[in-house]
Amino acid sequence: MRAVTTLLDAAPLTLRELARAVGAEDRWVVRLVEVEILRVDTPADPPERWHFRSADLQRALAARRLERDFGANLDTAALILDLQAELRRARALLGAHGLG
Amino acid sequence: MDFKDYYSALGVARDASDDDIRKAYRKLARKYHPDVSKEADADVKMREVNEARDVLSDKEKRAAYDQLADHVARGGSPDGGFRQPPPGWDDGYEFRRGPAQGPADHADFSEFFSSIFGNRGGTAQRGGDGAPYRERGEDHHAAIEISLEDALHGAERQLSLRAQEIDAQGRPRLVDRTLDVKIPAGVRPGQYIRLAGQGLPGHGGEPAGDLYLEVRIAPHPRYRIEGHDLTMTLPVTPTEAALGAQVTVPTPGGGHVDVTIPKGARNGMKLRLKERGLPGKTPGHLYLLLEIVLPPADSDAARAAYEQLAKAAPFNPREHLGA
Repeated sequence: MRAVTTLLDAAPLTLRELARAVGAEDRWVVRLVEVEILRVDTPADPPERWHFRSADLQRALAARRLERDFGANLDTAALILDLQAELRRARALLGAHGLG
Repeated sequence: MDFKDYYSALGVARDASDDDIRKAYRKLARKYHPDVSKEADADVKMREVNEARDVLSDKEKRAAYDQLADHVARGGSPDGGFRQPPPGWDDGYEFRRGPAQGPADHADFSEFFSSIFGNRGGTAQRGGDGAPYRERGEDHHAAIEISLEDALHGAERQLSLRAQEIDAQGRPRLVDRTLDVKIPAGVRPGQYIRLAGQGLPGHGGEPAGDLYLEVRIAPHPRYRIEGHDLTMTLPVTPTEAALGAQVTVPTPGGGHVDVTIPKGARNGMKLRLKERGLPGKTPGHLYLLLEIVLPPADSDAARAAYEQLAKAAPFNPREHLGA
């Protein structure tokens, strides 16, 4: 069967679509934006007009797991995700210099 | 297929409380999390631990799993292997995923898990007021690993999935199906491809959910990938590094390009080939990490040349150490 495939970054998700993709309510995604786990281009716009890309889906899924598996609140999840991203950046830098 | 002992995977007893399971999971997740673990098989262990937690932390799944474990213990197959659950093993249990349980991200779980829990969304239900139960199908997640060449040029790949369908009697059943997936050129690791309508089936005439495929790129012997950019180690001779040179370098797209090594180049110096990385609206760059490789002193002529160099260009690389 040939499936209709779309690269998420070419056709970003709406708030409702992102919420559905992570098995959450819309207001949970709004909270992710409030605690800056997700950053939207136009935060002043109503949430229905926000758009989300691959990196947002990845961070939302990771936040969902931290909340579910470790009972982390979203502020803690935001800190952990930022530290994880920093760790990966540092490791990539080491790898790029043959030190990984 | 081996029967999986989820209790021993978490190191808990069969009568462990929810709190015991939560504590055991958190301890093991910290030990095997890929970002912090030094264990060689951390990824595999983490998947096992996740799978065990998924089952044992869900009352319905745990009860059904216990029933199945009892059945296998009583009359398991002679070779000790596990082929498939017996008919009716899950009678009375239903594995609907509530909104608080998070994404249906069982992509990395084992064949054993799929054979018993599949992608279940439960049997057909009716609303509390007697109206037909209607709900759009849940979105589902999986991962697809492609080669760097596929990411560069785009490709069409066939993906085998075990998915749920609703039969004529309204009961869910697992079917194997294959999907032709178009991989767009320039796709990067961590990006998602969305396959509309390929998630879990809807109920009461509502549409199916979508399938999200996370792109992973297999390690490449020559290039390291970071976002759009690629890095390649480029060996150069001491002469090329000291005096500068023009060298020919293969590019990820399959061609070659002439590169100028600047005079006095150092080991670890990075050269950037603009827009020679992954293609896209904003193409990535190709970075060349210079590695100075010494010619072997394996002949009289080579040894003489090294000795002559030492005399012609006296040099103490340990001067800054005071040695």
